[in-house]
Amino acid sequence: MPVTRVEVTPRQGEGMRDVRGDVVRRQLKADHNISAAKVRSICGYLISGETPSEAIAERVDDLFADPIIEVGAANTTMLTTPSFGDGPETVITVGFKPGVTDNPGKAATDGFLTLFPADGNAKIATYTTYVFYGLPSDCDANWLAGTLHNGLIERALVADRAACADQSWPELTFPTPPEQVFIEPQSIDLECDDATLEEISTTGLLALNLNEMHAIQAHYRDESVRQQRADMDISPNAPTDVELECLAQTWSEHCKHKIFASRIHHVDHETGEDTVVDSLFKTHIMKPTHDMQKDVDWLLSVFHDNSGVIAWDDKWSVCMKAETHNSPSALDPYGGAMTGIVGVNRDILGTGLGARPIANTDVFCFGPPDWEGQLPDNLFHPSRVLRGVHAGVRVGGNESGIPTVNGAIVFDDRYIGKPLVYCGTVGIMPRQLPDGRPSHVKTPVAGDIVYMVGGRVGYDGIHGATFSSLELTEESPSSAVQIGDPITQKKMLDMVLEARDAGLITCITDNGAGGLSSSIGEMAEYTNGCEIDLAKVPLKQAGLSPWEILVSESQERMTIAVKPEDQAAFEALADLHEVEATAVATFTSTGMFHVRYADATVAYLPIEFLHEGVPQLQLESEWRPPELPSFAPPSTADHSELLQGMLQRPNIASKETWVRQYDHEVIAQTAIKPFVGVERDGPGDAGVIAPIHGDPHGLVISCGIAPRYSDIDAGAMAAASIDEAVRNAVCVGLDVDKMAGLDNFCWPDPIESTKTPDGRFKLAQLVRANRELERVCRAYRLPCVSGKDSMKNDYGTGPDKISIPPTLLFSLFGDHPDVRKSATSDFKFEGDKIYLVGESKQELGASELAFMMTENGQAKGVGGHVPLLPHPEQNLATYRALSQSIRAGLVRTAHDCSEGGVAVALAEMCIGGRTGASVDIDGTGSGDVWGRLWGESLGRIIVAVSPEHEDAFLSAMKGHPTTVLGTVSASSSLTITDGDDELVELDVETMAGLWKGTLDLTGGVI
Amino acid sequence: MTPRVAVLFGFGINCDHETKAVFELVGATADRLHVNRLISGDERLEDYDILAVPGGFSFGDHLGSGRLLGNRMRFAMRDALRSFVDAGKPIIGICNGFQVLVKTGLLPGPEAGHSPDFIQRGSLTLNDSGRYEDRWVTLEFDPESPCIWTKGMTRMECPVRHGEGKYVMPSADDIDRLDANHQLTVRYVDPSTPPGAGRTDEALPYPLSPNGSMRNIAGICDATGLVFGLMPHPEAIYARWLHPMHTRHGSEASSGALDGWEGEGLQLFRNAVEYVKQRS
Repeated sequence: MPVTRVEVTPRQGEGMRDVRGDVVRRQLKADHNISAAKVRSICGYLISGETPSEAIAERVDDLFADPIIEVGAANTTMLTTPSFGDGPETVITVGFKPGVTDNPGKAATDGFLTLFPADGNAKIATYTTYVFYGLPSDCDANWLAGTLHNGLIERALVADRAACADQSWPELTFPTPPEQVFIEPQSIDLECDDATLEEISTTGLLALNLNEMHAIQAHYRDESVRQQRADMDISPNAPTDVELECLAQTWSEHCKHKIFASRIHHVDHETGEDTVVDSLFKTHIMKPTHDMQKDVDWLLSVFHDNSGVIAWDDKWSVCMKAETHNSPSALDPYGGAMTGIVGVNRDILGTGLGARPIANTDVFCFGPPDWEGQLPDNLFHPSRVLRGVHAGVRVGGNESGIPTVNGAIVFDDRYIGKPLVYCGTVGIMPRQLPDGRPSHVKTPVAGDIVYMVGGRVGYDGIHGATFSSLELTEESPSSAVQIGDPITQKKMLDMVLEARDAGLITCITDNGAGGLSSSIGEMAEYTNGCEIDLAKVPLKQAGLSPWEILVSESQERMTIAVKPEDQAAFEALADLHEVEATAVATFTSTGMFHVRYADATVAYLPIEFLHEGVPQLQLESEWRPPELPSFAPPSTADHSELLQGMLQRPNIASKETWVRQYDHEVIAQTAIKPFVGVERDGPGDAGVIAPIHGDPHGLVISCGIAPRYSDIDAGAMAAASIDEAVRNAVCVGLDVDKMAGLDNFCWPDPIESTKTPDGRFKLAQLVRANRELERVCRAYRLPCVSGKDSMKNDYGTGPDKISIPPTLLFSLFGDHPDVRKSATSDFKFEGDKIYLVGESKQELGASELAFMMTENGQAKGVGGHVPLLPHPEQNLATYRALSQSIRAGLVRTAHDCSEGGVAVALAEMCIGGRTGASVDIDGTGSGDVWGRLWGESLGRIIVAVSPEHEDAFLSAMKGHPTTVLGTVSASSSLTITDGDDELVELDVETMAGLWKGTLDLTGGVI
Repeated sequence: MTPRVAVLFGFGINCDHETKAVFELVGATADRLHVNRLISGDERLEDYDILAVPGGFSFGDHLGSGRLLGNRMRFAMRDALRSFVDAGKPIIGICNGFQVLVKTGLLPGPEAGHSPDFIQRGSLTLNDSGRYEDRWVTLEFDPESPCIWTKGMTRMECPVRHGEGKYVMPSADDIDRLDANHQLTVRYVDPSTPPGAGRTDEALPYPLSPNGSMRNIAGICDATGLVFGLMPHPEAIYARWLHPMHTRHGSEASSGALDGWEGEGLQLFRNAVEYVKQRS
């Protein structure tokens, strides 16, 4: 088909700017210290269709260019127009590779059809051209192009200085994907030796170990299986490629959590313990929650659905899920992170009969943004990962209309090897649907028709589940990376919720890892069987082979079951919303996962074998405490100077530039936002939403994460994460008697092998973390209702291998009876009395101060006493008393005390209120001055109370450790003393400047 | 009578639930209506008294915010929209809805006395900062504006949440003409100025003006004062518990709805609902 080129560029002139160009200019300055005098941009559209170029040329201003602010033209290279002059020094054009999701192109195609409805097969691809003026002479054009595109998914053409002088401008052509070759299903002979079995797994990216290959081999040796297969006219003695791929997806670490389900032989050399743990998940996560479920009536659905559901009031229930998207985000930070957030939104939509996502949380772990050391091949600089991941989550969340209400960004060198991208979503649903069914229970029966709804299936997204179960290497496949399409998903979401309320849905789940193979396969467990016809599945591009259709993880798809009599109504609703919905399967009760391609049977697997056939892993775990040089602070120090340094640490510094770019208050429900205080820049401890309009009944959303404590003990790391999540929520007034948690483990590979010689130690870390999780959650009466693990967070092999620190993100959601009775972290009124709730011990091991002083050469190591939680029952009692005081209106100021201890917490409270405070830390615990000022002991919250409420507050806190610290002052300085010793005196604006400057990353260019 | 409000949704509009809720809090009934239901004729715009185009990301803001949804409305709902305006019924566009109304040409619209001609006269473009941001701003209303939505309102705090909120017109004359008619209904102001004295033509620094809008324009109305659009979100402060400083002001009640917890933004919606009631 003929292709018409349309180019559009911003008008120049008074009040007009080329903002896209300016953004590139700022980034070059911030990330690379390169100054460009001017950068301009051109948006390009390649229109492949039957409409004549002349007809398109007449409508440029109706669609492609906004005549008020832009100039556009068809079949004219903008660079040849006078406005670009003759001075460009470098020109770079970036477009998508064939087959990669092009969202602007999709939208343009939709708009094109509004104008030219007859040209039904038209397709539009987009590109962006950057035009540079006044670049430093040593700035290489190809290097510059490398900073502006990701070769995995994008292509770039470059005109360097010479080409620019020649006026030889780059022109991208329409990206036509290569023909896909349809391959008939093959059978794969497994009657071979072990080495060959392993090779089949490795070369096929199946990520199945030898035991698992043996289990599959054994299945096809079973005579009754062979007979059954012969009857169905499918290869009797060997799996088809469809079956092998399907088993690999379903049995992947990603889907089956084999390490958490494994049988572990655990040896502790510290205590002499030698024992066996049969499934960490069942022992330490599921059992405690099920025990707690007996005591409360609000735990509606735990573990088995796409998210955990709790009753919130008589009319509504709420649910939450968090996921990670680490490997895709390492390869393509933007696309990987975006599919992470829109993917977890679908988990909520796929909960029960469909919940509405109402809040997002985002927690990222990155390498230091100012990293100047070596970078392994194939890895991006941490600042680029930060920008890309942030942009992906921003676009995914904002365009979906879901507020991001809580999150964190954590930095450590080791996350250079694998960034962690945690995305969480909270959902809400009516307890009962209009037809009387409880909305948290799926109700499919055999005979129901299964639809694939939303996007189409493409080559993108093949092997995501198995790929994330392998370590990152230079050969990681590009098909594992995708770009999300939030608008297609939003249309689907609107449609699905209408279908739910109309009573049309009997079962629903997300198409995530493993694609249709997992989604239909898992739902088929309800009725014990299904029959799928892959030939009916709508494709982005013809030619996909059956196994590819079955396992492709192409985004924006839900799998929904509908009663036969409701099909017409369901399809009409899909038409109205312009959402594609195709019947692709039927539920049966045959006990078989039966897949056809038109008339031919291409897979025929027993449901039981598919879901229960994977052999349990047998693993070895061995604990020896790591030996680290202890952190020993110098005898004297300038604490004011230390505080200035600490406020600039990326782990402590304000993340405002980044977080402010998330919409955190769409839906008009966010009562405590990420930013608080007089300048709206103080840190919010937890998000509070009141989701029912007009009703102040609230929900608290918080998180805790403390990965560096794993350097000393991953058990302490887990306890600290949970305690931090609870403390954050208590600070805003959580009802501690109705809270639920999510455990998201990200670990380096803990299976001992030649690649992982220290696997036993890493597994022992996992055992200890799980034991602490159980101990603390039981004490806090805090059930884990959903969770996820990602167990292969390593880069490379051998001596250059980078393994992340074992990391648990603990997310919490809980009840807030009345959001009008909340507290925030900013100091509010002169004369308010400041108290420390909790005690400061001598716990500086793995503290932020220890890391800073060690990196600066002021100390020799970060080891020592890591913060512990010896008596969690007492902490809970204290938290209950404090949160009740907040909800009684006695306390309006509360702030969690964590990284950087009392000193940093006080500084942040002063910044929030733009006020001074005068504080004495004498008598606040057993630690020395370092421990009391900088230590990170758990269980501590700083509060401020107005004098009129002081007596009532103290009597409410009777029996709980509560020590007066000082007073909110009229001065503009924070002063901290230890008895007569002056420790800190810093001006609040100085502190605010340091705290806000570090992670600004805008380059200071206007 | 109870005024009926059509709240559009679909294709990425995402503030439809709260927009419906705020109209209902001030005594209207409101329906979330998918754009395609109006285009197909399943529902008729003329059956409604007020039209609201809520915020969101229709079509992902691709090809310019509000452009593609604006086109669908401009080409497929042209007659219905013209009749609605000619019948003197109020329309509001908030954030993405404002962008849609500007790009359909309903705002600022033709001179007084003319029917809508669907010619685009201004635009909303990328913030000077290059960033989408959610931040609270202080707004002030032109007391002489013909806008029926903002009667009696002086100053308000509420959030902006956009990446393309910079209002521009081709020439200073274009804006002067709107200003002379008091169609520059609402502007960003410096909160340290006395209420009522904040509006200025001098460009305010970022972030007081969050986007670099010409003359700090936050919202405009058409010549009749019935069609109104603004980038900030008045519905996001329908209750005082949504204000970032509510923990400072305690729980004492004030006047208005929601047990005395009515937020400043609700009045804007009440004005339109009362206008319709009085007219009928």
